[in-house]
Amino acid sequence: MKKNQIKTRDMLLSALSILGLIAVWFLVSNSKPDFFPTPMATIERLIRLIEKPVMKISILGHVLASLKRVVLALIAAIILGVGIGLFMGWNKKVRAAINPILMALRPIPPIAWIPLIILLFGIGEFPKVLLVFIGAFFPIVMNTMSGVALVEDMYLKVGKIYKANTAQMLRHVVFPAAMPAILAGIKIAISSGWMVVVAAEMLSSKSGLGFLINRGRDSYDVALIMVAMILIGVVGALLSAVFTLIERKLCGWMSKE
Amino acid sequence: MDEQRVVKVHLENISKSFASRKMIFEAVNHVTIDVYKNEFLVLLGPGQCGKTVLLNMVSGLETPTEGKVEFIDSDATDLGFVFQKTAVFPWKTVMENVEMPLELKGVPKAERRERAQYLIDLVGLNGFENSLPKQLSGGMKQRVGIARAYCNNPQVLLMDEPFGALDAQTRYQMEEEILRIWEQEKRTVIFVTNNIEEAVYLADRIIVLSACPATVKEVYDIALPRPRDYVDTEFLRIREAIEANTDLAL
Repeated sequence: MKKNQIKTRDMLLSALSILGLIAVWFLVSNSKPDFFPTPMATIERLIRLIEKPVMKISILGHVLASLKRVVLALIAAIILGVGIGLFMGWNKKVRAAINPILMALRPIPPIAWIPLIILLFGIGEFPKVLLVFIGAFFPIVMNTMSGVALVEDMYLKVGKIYKANTAQMLRHVVFPAAMPAILAGIKIAISSGWMVVVAAEMLSSKSGLGFLINRGRDSYDVALIMVAMILIGVVGALLSAVFTLIERKLCGWMSKE
Repeated sequence: MDEQRVVKVHLENISKSFASRKMIFEAVNHVTIDVYKNEFLVLLGPGQCGKTVLLNMVSGLETPTEGKVEFIDSDATDLGFVFQKTAVFPWKTVMENVEMPLELKGVPKAERRERAQYLIDLVGLNGFENSLPKQLSGGMKQRVGIARAYCNNPQVLLMDEPFGALDAQTRYQMEEEILRIWEQEKRTVIFVTNNIEEAVYLADRIIVLSACPATVKEVYDIALPRPRDYVDTEFLRIREAIEANTDLAL
């Protein structure tokens, strides 16, 4: 088969499996449509949601509210995570000093922080962004650190031979060499941040997709829960697709082997 | 050739040992070598021996445990280094790789581009300036490495088994190329290899090093005219003489 044919075949298979999933949903929900909404009922609910906002915020507004929290937290996590990770990977003393703290804090799931953060910072925007930051920071700092620490010795030697100073070494050699690892860390951070934001919104929020799920639970509106869940999945997948494009742009130099 | 021998680099009684847990590993043992200006010197020795360590000490990447390296009329900043495997940066284009030594020195872009372009043309990579290393073959990558080493405008060029990873045909081609480049841009070259044929083909002078720890075992002046022929009787005679005297069993 030619490349094009294989591509068409694979796309066809993907479409079929999605259709299959919807079919199973249809079969399962059809027996008890009041308890578990059918695909059609869910689509109807989505249309109603577009026409009639919840909490005076349109559906797009809820998506953007969640996205804004994730993006703010990610920016902070990238700046701090890459910065600290770079220092830790580059300097063994810094690593020895900071690593134990990370090791102790990293295993605590972001959700476990929720009560403490609510007690300390209340239920405004900042605590939610902070929670997402906690979820996003660790993968970025860990990946950056190991990426920097594992830069091939040969590349460092080239820098040394041509008398690169520390700033030049980091800019020309270490940073680009560690870029694939850093981006992989950011990718994990995006999906983890997206999960955490929903959890944070479910606990205390007046906007966002997590809030919609909660609203659905409180008013026994199962279709609304389904709509919000599907949107979470779709937006999450879009986020990771967009990031894959960025990754390809920044690390196009990597060979396929 | 003899009358023009000016010493360029002087290795004075160099020794290097590495201490690991319980034992001391001796890599280089009391080596004294004079490297002459603009000569093509080949250090020939069995694999896993201190050749690379010796070269690293010339370059300043490592410091000798004993003895010293002296540069006459220049200093260690005037070095070019071609590495064993291709140490070409995969995230930089051919042009960016070649100009890097000058960029680090803060040479203005237009000036370093001009120099880099001259070298890219010299090594035969014209047209590949904007290619990434992943698009190049092994031999072409090593050409980038050679151009980069030259870009620093070095007085001394160090080459650490640069063609060791190449297939035989590419290797022969690159041996021819490196001589052509060197004839055009004469520099003092210290070339490390474990391949006798390569050594005889390239060298003005061969210094045979013993297995670990490396010591100077034999010195051969190779007066054959260039271009040399691998199957010429005189070539084969020298090759066999070195072979008989050297234990290159790996």
